[in-house]
Formats: sequence, C-alpha cells, structure tokens
Amino acid sequence: MRTITRHPIARKLAEAALTLLGVAVLVFVMLRATRGDQISATLGIEAAALTPAQRAALEAYYGLDQPLVVQFFSWLGNVVTGNLGYSSRSRQSVLEMTADSLPITFELAVLSIIIGLLIGVPLGMLSASRANSLRDAFGQTVGLAGLSIPAFLLGSTMLALSASMLGYNPNARGFASFAEDPWLNLQQMLMPALVLGFGLAAPIMRTARSALLEVRSMDFVRTARSKGAGPVRVQLKHVLHNALVPIVTMTGLQFGYLLGGAVVVEQIFSIPGIGRQVLIGIQQKEYAVVQSTVLVIALSFVIINLLTDLLYRVIDPRVRAQ
Amino acid sequence: MTFRPSRKRAGLAILAGPAALALMVTGCSSANEPDPQSTSGSGTLVAAITADPDTLFPWKATQFQAVNVLENIYGTLTQFDDELNVVPGLAEKWEPSEDGTQVTLTLRDGVTFHDGSEFDADDVKHSLDLIRDEATAAVAAASIGSVTDVEVVDPLTVTLTLSAPDAGLMANLANVNVAMLSSDDTEEDLNTEPNGTGAFVYVDRTPNQSIKLEANEDYWGDAASLSSLEFRIIADETSIVSALQSGDVQFAVLNDPLVAKTAEGSGISVVGTPQLSYHALQLNATKGALTDVNVRLAMQCAIDRQQVLDTAALGEGEVTGPITSPAFKSDPEARPCPERDLDKAKEYLAKAGMADGVTVKTIVSQGSYATSVNEAQNLQAQLAEAGITLDLEVLEAGAYVDRWIAADFEAAVALNGGRPDPDGMYGRYFPSTGNLNQVAGYNSPELDALFAEGKATMDADERKSIYDEISQHLEDNAAWIWLFTSYTYTATTDTVDGFTPMANGSLQNLRSTTVSN
Amino acid sequence: MSAEVTVDTTALQAPAKGRGSVLAGILRSPSGLIGLLLTGAVVTLGLLSVFNLLPFDPIAQRPEVRLQGPSGEHWFGTDQFGRDILSRTASGVANSLLISVVAVAFAAIIGTAGGLIAGFFRGWSDRSISGVTNVLFAFPPLLLALSLASAFDRTWFTIAVAIAIVYAPIFVRVARGPVLSLREADFVRSATVVGMRRFAIIWQHILPNIGAIVIVQITLSLSWAVLTEASLSFLGLGTPPPAASLGAMIFEARTLVNFAPWTMFAPGAVIILLVVGLNLLGDGLRDALDPRNRGTK
Repeated sequence: MRTITRHPIARKLAEAALTLLGVAVLVFVMLRATRGDQISATLGIEAAALTPAQRAALEAYYGLDQPLVVQFFSWLGNVVTGNLGYSSRSRQSVLEMTADSLPITFELAVLSIIIGLLIGVPLGMLSASRANSLRDAFGQTVGLAGLSIPAFLLGSTMLALSASMLGYNPNARGFASFAEDPWLNLQQMLMPALVLGFGLAAPIMRTARSALLEVRSMDFVRTARSKGAGPVRVQLKHVLHNALVPIVTMTGLQFGYLLGGAVVVEQIFSIPGIGRQVLIGIQQKEYAVVQSTVLVIALSFVIINLLTDLLYRVIDPRVRAQ
Repeated sequence: MTFRPSRKRAGLAILAGPAALALMVTGCSSANEPDPQSTSGSGTLVAAITADPDTLFPWKATQFQAVNVLENIYGTLTQFDDELNVVPGLAEKWEPSEDGTQVTLTLRDGVTFHDGSEFDADDVKHSLDLIRDEATAAVAAASIGSVTDVEVVDPLTVTLTLSAPDAGLMANLANVNVAMLSSDDTEEDLNTEPNGTGAFVYVDRTPNQSIKLEANEDYWGDAASLSSLEFRIIADETSIVSALQSGDVQFAVLNDPLVAKTAEGSGISVVGTPQLSYHALQLNATKGALTDVNVRLAMQCAIDRQQVLDTAALGEGEVTGPITSPAFKSDPEARPCPERDLDKAKEYLAKAGMADGVTVKTIVSQGSYATSVNEAQNLQAQLAEAGITLDLEVLEAGAYVDRWIAADFEAAVALNGGRPDPDGMYGRYFPSTGNLNQVAGYNSPELDALFAEGKATMDADERKSIYDEISQHLEDNAAWIWLFTSYTYTATTDTVDGFTPMANGSLQNLRSTTVSN
Repeated sequence: MSAEVTVDTTALQAPAKGRGSVLAGILRSPSGLIGLLLTGAVVTLGLLSVFNLLPFDPIAQRPEVRLQGPSGEHWFGTDQFGRDILSRTASGVANSLLISVVAVAFAAIIGTAGGLIAGFFRGWSDRSISGVTNVLFAFPPLLLALSLASAFDRTWFTIAVAIAIVYAPIFVRVARGPVLSLREADFVRSATVVGMRRFAIIWQHILPNIGAIVIVQITLSLSWAVLTEASLSFLGLGTPPPAASLGAMIFEARTLVNFAPWTMFAPGAVIILLVVGLNLLGDGLRDALDPRNRGTK
C-alpha cells in the first residue's frame, strides 16, 4: 500500500504525459527527416512536372507551407483538444479511423496472445519437467522448427493452401468487425492470430521454461515437495505461480509490440488494423495520420505498462512489500 | 489450366505461349466453386486492387489504382478504343481549323452527370479553364498547355484556341486527368462524392478496404452489364491469388510476372497484355562521367537487354526501343549496339579516356514494382564485365521518387508510364522546354526541332517518320537505355467474361464485362 | 507467501567458474549439445564464405545456367541469375549473422546496463531510463527502420542499428523486472548493510542472477533479429542487393517456389536450423550458467 502513496496517481500521469511528449517530438522529427512529402507521395514522379505556382498551391492545401514549429504546435494543440487531424486521402478524421482500426488490432493481439500462451506455456512446462531428456530435446527441435518460419512466409503459405485446397478464404471477403458479424470476424481473425500466436509461442515457451526451472530449484519448492505435495500440485500452485512474473513481463511486452508490429500479417490477410494505418500513412506521407496514430499506440503502451506494473504487485509479493 | 489468349491484336504478342506455361504448372487445379455467400446479387463483380486510391479527384490522380477506379466513374471528351486509337467520347466530333490553331468540338447531346444535371459546353469550359489554372495544381495542365482559350459557342459547341497546331491534343484529352466535371461541383465535393458521366456511379467507400460502384442506367453508351462493381483492396498480390482461388474475388490485375505464373498454375485464367510502360536505365547526361556520350554508348553496348528481361522477369516481356505505342513503335534493333558487344563497349570507354573503368551512381526503388531490384542486379553484373561499376543505391519507394523528381542521380532504374501518343509520352522529357527535361537529363537542338515538327504535323505517316527519327536520335546518343516492356496480367475466375485488357493498363472495359454468379 | 520466497544466497555467492566448465555444462544437456551442433554447423557454413572457400562467387551471375535444379555442380540448384544457391546461402548466413550479432550486441549491452541501473537505483535514473524505453517501445519498429533507411544510406550497419534500437528496450525491461525483486532480497540487503559499494553489489550479486535470463534473451533475440531482417525484406527495407541475406533469399524464393522450389530449400532450411539451434543453445547456456546447477550433476 505504501507504494501507491509514494507514487501518487498524479505522478504516474505526469510520467505518462512526458513519455507521450517524447513520442510526439520523435515521431515529428523522424517524419520530417525522411525524404519526400505528401505531394510527391500522391503524385509520384508527376510531382516533377509541377510548376512553382502549382507546388505552392499544393503546399498550402496540405498545410506544408507553415514553419515546422508552427506545424508541430498546432498539431499538438489540436491533439490535446481531441482533434487528431484529418486524412485528406481517406476523407476521414484520424479519430474516426483509429476508432475503427485500434479495436481490430487489439482483438487480434488478444487472440494471438491467447494462442501463444496456449501453445507456449504447456510446451514450456513440458520441456522444463524433462529438461534433459534426449527425446524431449528432439521434440523441442521439431516444435521450434515450426515456430522459426518468418511470419510473411507462414502467413502467405497458410492462406494459399487454405484457398487452393479448401477454397476457404474468409479474409478475401470484405472485412467484418466483431460487432457487424461475429462469426465471419472470428474466421477472418483465425489465420492471422495463428501466425502471430505461433511466433509468440516460441519466446513464451523459452521464458516459461527458463522461469520454471529457476523457481523449481528454489528452497520453498523443495520444502513443499518434502512436505509431501504431489508433483502436479507443486507444479501448478507453487512453481507456475512464481514463474508468472517473467511470463507476464514477456506477454505484456509482446502485446505492446503487436499493436504496431502486426503490420506484416495485417497486410497479408487484409486486416484493417492500426499497423496498416501507420504503414499507409508513412507511404503516403500523411504526417497527421502517422503522428496521431503513433501517439495513440504510445498511449496504449503506457496503459499496458501500468497494467503490467500493477500485475507485478499482485503476483509478486516482494514488489508489493517494498 | 485455363490460359486464354487475348482476342485482341495486342494480346497475340505474348511470347510465353500456352505450351511454355504448361511446363510451369505444378499446382493442383481445384474446383474453385465460388462461395455462394460471397456474391450477393447477380451481376456483381469484385475486383481486387493492391492499394486504396489516394485521391478520388480525377485531375490529381496519378496512382494506377486511382486512375483505374476513376476512369469508370468519369468521362472525357475523347477516349481510346481497345487498340488505343482516339475515338469520340463526350465530344461527338471535332474539327480543326485550316491552320490548325483552332479546334471546334461538338458535344454529345443528352449526357447527364450522375447527380442528374446536364452536361454541356459550360462544363467543358469550366473544366478546361480550371485545369489550365496553376492554382488548381492539376497534373494535366501541361498536356493541354497548347490551349490558350476555350470559347462556348452554344450549349453543344466549344472552340479551343491553340498557340500552335497540336497533333497530340486529342489523345491528351482522353486522359482521366482531363475528366469533365460539372461546373456546380468543387474539388472538396468530389473528393467525398464523385460525380461524373461514366458508366459507373460511385456508391460508397470504406477507406483502405473497398470502393463500391453501381451501373449508371443513364450512361450515354451501352449501359454496363454488371449491376455493381466493387474494388476491394488486398495489398499483397499473392493474397489476391488466394482470393481468386476461393472465388471471393473474381477479377484482378497482377503486375508481378512470378505471381501471375503461380496464379496460372492454379486454375485461374490469366491473360498477359503488353504494356506501353517501359523499363529503362535512365541516364542523366548532365552528371559525372555520363556527360560524355561515349560513356553512355559504352553502357548501351555492354547491356544484353534480353538477359535483363530473362533474369529479372523470367522473360515475360519484350525488348523495346523508346516508343512503345503500337502505331509509332520504335524498332528495338535500331541502335548503335543492337546486340551486346563488349569489345565495342571497351572501345567507347577508351574513346572517353576511361579505359580503366568508370563508376555510375544509380538509384533503384525497392517495393514499388516487383522487378526493379532484380533488373538492377543484372545490369550491375553485366556492366561490371565492361569495367563499368554500377554503384547501386536501393531506396524505399518514397525516397526514390523524391530523388527522381529532384534529378538527384546519375542513373536510375526506372519503370515509366507510356502513352498512346509519342508527343504525350516524350514531349515532356526530351525537348529542352519539357517540364521533365531536367529529370531526363538530355536535350539537343535537333530533338527540339523534331518534337516541334512532330507536334505540328497532322498526317499520320509523316508523324510516324518524325518520331522514328526522334527515336533514332535518342538511341544514337544513348540518352537513356531502353530495356523492355512488360505485361500486366488480367486474372479472372471462370465466371467472368467479356473483359478486354488494354496496353495502357486501362480498366474501362469493365463496363462491357459480365459475370455469372 | 512472502516467507516462502527466498533466494538461495549461498549459491549466489559461489565464485564464478571458468569458461571450460560452462562448455562442459552445455555439453551435458542434450538440448544444449544439439543447439551447439546446429549453430556450429550453420556458423561454419558462414565462415566458409568469410574465408572465400565457397565453390562459386555468391554474386557473380551466369544467366546460361539460371534456375537449374540441384545437380552435381550446384548441389542446391541456381537462382534466376544463375547464382549458386549453396554459395549464396553461405554468404547469406555470414551477412545475416553479422547484422544480427552486431544488432543484438548493441541492444544487450545498452539495454541490460539500462535495466540494471533503472531497477537498482530507482528514482530519477529509473524514471529517465524507463521514459526513454517507453518512448522507443511506443514506436512502431517499422517507422524506426523506415526513417533510418530513408535518412541514411542503407547498409548492413544501418539495418543493424535499426534492429538494435528496436531490441534494446526489451533488454531494459527484461533486466529491470528481476532486479526490482532482487534488490529486496535478503542477501542484497545484507550486502548493503555491511557497506558494500553499490556498483560492486550490482556486479557481484545482481548481474550473476539476471545473467541467465539475459543470455536466454540474447539467444532469442539473435534468432528474432534474423527473422526481423527477413520481415524488413518483405517491406522492401532489407539488406541491399546484390549481397545475399537469408531473409531476402527467402522473400525472393516466395514467388519462385511454385516452379523452382529448390530456391527456397537451402535458405529456408538454414534459417530454421539457425533459429532452432540458437534457441536450444540458449537453453543449454542457461542451464550451464545457472549457479544452482553447478556441481549438482
């Protein structure tokens, strides 16, 4: 309880605000450091044919004629008041776009992590329980082999096989959100979540195995065993419980990554998630879209980090007691 | 396998015939029953495109996907038939004055915009005036730059006054970037609610997912057979093939020859159509060693174009000279080194005083089209044998465009769009007054004179010989090194019929396409 | 509950053992042994390229033999430029490993140091390090890579730096979590009480205890870095040609696989062997380095 009084919510919020400000500055600078602008991104090589007057008209249209400092603060000022900007390409406000895309990626991330945990934790427990048997090493090798295929290869192969052999390709139908059509939505999420889940299972398995071995060799487990607790009970109650910290750390990290990092899978399976929103924004040099979307992703990160921190306190008494 | 040769002349030029392709088939052919749920009503076609149109405003649309969608919604004064001849569009006929400095257009009667308003001469004047106004920043401003005045004679007659005769003008008017807009609409309106005279009416759009159109019942030509047309965005071409296999998408245009071959092997019908666009190694004759014509000629002689085509695109294309449109086609062999000749290349290098070798900084884009990096690698390997080092800078697509438009390169591996009319195609690159001449990096008084002559000459045969001369001049001076033209591939399920692909990549024939669901 | 959780301080205070016994430890566990063998085999392949012992030049093109299947001359066939796939794969291993090792070395050193300092000292150093970490975490890795690729010449080194920046925050987080727990452990408290200097405590008591988890993370990150480089190729940001990299080879083979499946085989098999090998080696290392395993087997 002391922890909370020592870290008042106000301070956490100030920290979060600082992080977001850092992100805002960095994303702004990075976008300006990359070559090209929305004019050349939209017109392609035709931009070379623009007369100076035409270029000036376009710069005014896209708001590129303002000094950088003005661009930064007017954007930031708008963001603070809830106006994330406007995509001239999609004819939508960034807020609307994000309200559609963020829940989609969120759902994908949750499903992927569930699949990753379902595969990874049991595999980790299995391998930790017989860490040094040759048979198990072979089993691990085979398991890992399946997990070490690049996501773009696994994704497109899975899609191609399913479409050509079964004629089944829900991702080729128009995307349906969960609210619109839950059944179709889940079908569309299945393959991408499997691909991401396979990728997640490997690190989760390694972390779980490593943590389990660590915890199992500790005194209290030996004590519990010597008191006559059965192996399953020891495994579940004492060991798994205490191995949760690194697993939670790992999972929290992965979740954050998936928000921006599912883009390859979103691209292959035509999932209109937030990763694609950033990618398309970058390709089109739509500064407002990229800046605000990255800020939203950053905000999600901050929230997830807070939750992870909270979970530590729930799971690990040592942190709670400090 | 269901390889269908295109019925059109252009389609017959495909080199890799059915027999050659049959050898490539390894996949199994499945039934490919279309999913009954995927297509709601009869006559609905779902066409996959790889990117969302970046604008719905036709005067600023340069992206392929945007053009493909918009040419189905908007109408132009003239248009191209399947062989790329200029034929009447919204202008029923046109009559040049004796001295060629005026053109009188007679407009089609009874044409309406999708919102129901009448199309008339005021709309033509409004559109052409705005396109020519620099504040509009319309990309076609220069292509109708010879127009100095637009005069409404009566509601169905417009007279264009030209600064000089312009043989390419009527072809330039067929471009969707010169689409006719209603004088009541603003750019802002049209960006959200397109309003054209084309065969399809805009219905709605989900950004980055789909654009839905339906047939225009009041279209002035034959109304579309499809009742509705949906463009669905699937970013990855390999995923598009999967979507065609499951029948959820029935139509797509593929660019990557390898993906097209894969599709062919899996029971999808694929038709390759030679394109006007051309792959070239653009040289910048104002930079570095390339200012010496002998160095450029050495490069030309050191490159076997067929080898570039074979390795980078598995032979899917044709070696080409500068002009690619069928009516004005350059003879690809008409150049100092029709075949690769390393001895001659070394001679040229010696003449330039660079027998010890020369380095050329070359930009390549990665990700904008499938074969770019492969072409660059093969060019590099071939030139190395002649002592020419191609110093490759592989750039992300946006960075490449930025360098290209700033002419910040010595050489560039490029895929440039072609046009049916040679003046429209090169009139902006090689005359010293062309708005892309800085990027082209080469001009000469002879070329300036020839381009002016070509523009002022109306007779088709005379024009052909002028552009042959231009083509010869470009090759003799190795202004650039033209490599090959490639195909685009129209991939359809067996329910689709009646689509004719065109060499300019246009999808205007979706209006005559049928689908049986 | 908290009474049960203690750390075996006697084991922690045991003096570190020499290199030889670590190797012996790896060799004792089957998974470590297999991992060492797999990684060793793949690294040897890469070394062949470094020392120019390949049958063919991995870059030279011979279009007359393009897209040939496996034969006596070309064991794993040729690609569309007539380049020998075995030679290219070997050279790809060298390039991919170079990028991955440099990237992960940067990430591990900077990230672990940051995590140790942040977790142990808490206070402003924790806030600033965690602040920077959070800012970097929040960045879509793609944007980072794209900016770097666009702002600098794309070379293997800029790609390595881009990957390092993406992975360093992971090391911060992975190290910081356990340090938070460890600094409250009795043996650390008692070391503080007896007046040990704080950097000495970190060096002697904290670092050895997070060593295992950091090493597991390093081997994992190495294999991810190889896969990340492959994903960058998918997005058109990979190793610039004509140099070979495993990721780029697999990406190119993706569209060739239907009519020239051998182009996928060698790079695909090697990337799997490498990733699996590194993972198993990580296990073996973990077991061998773990203080509690010393002398017990």
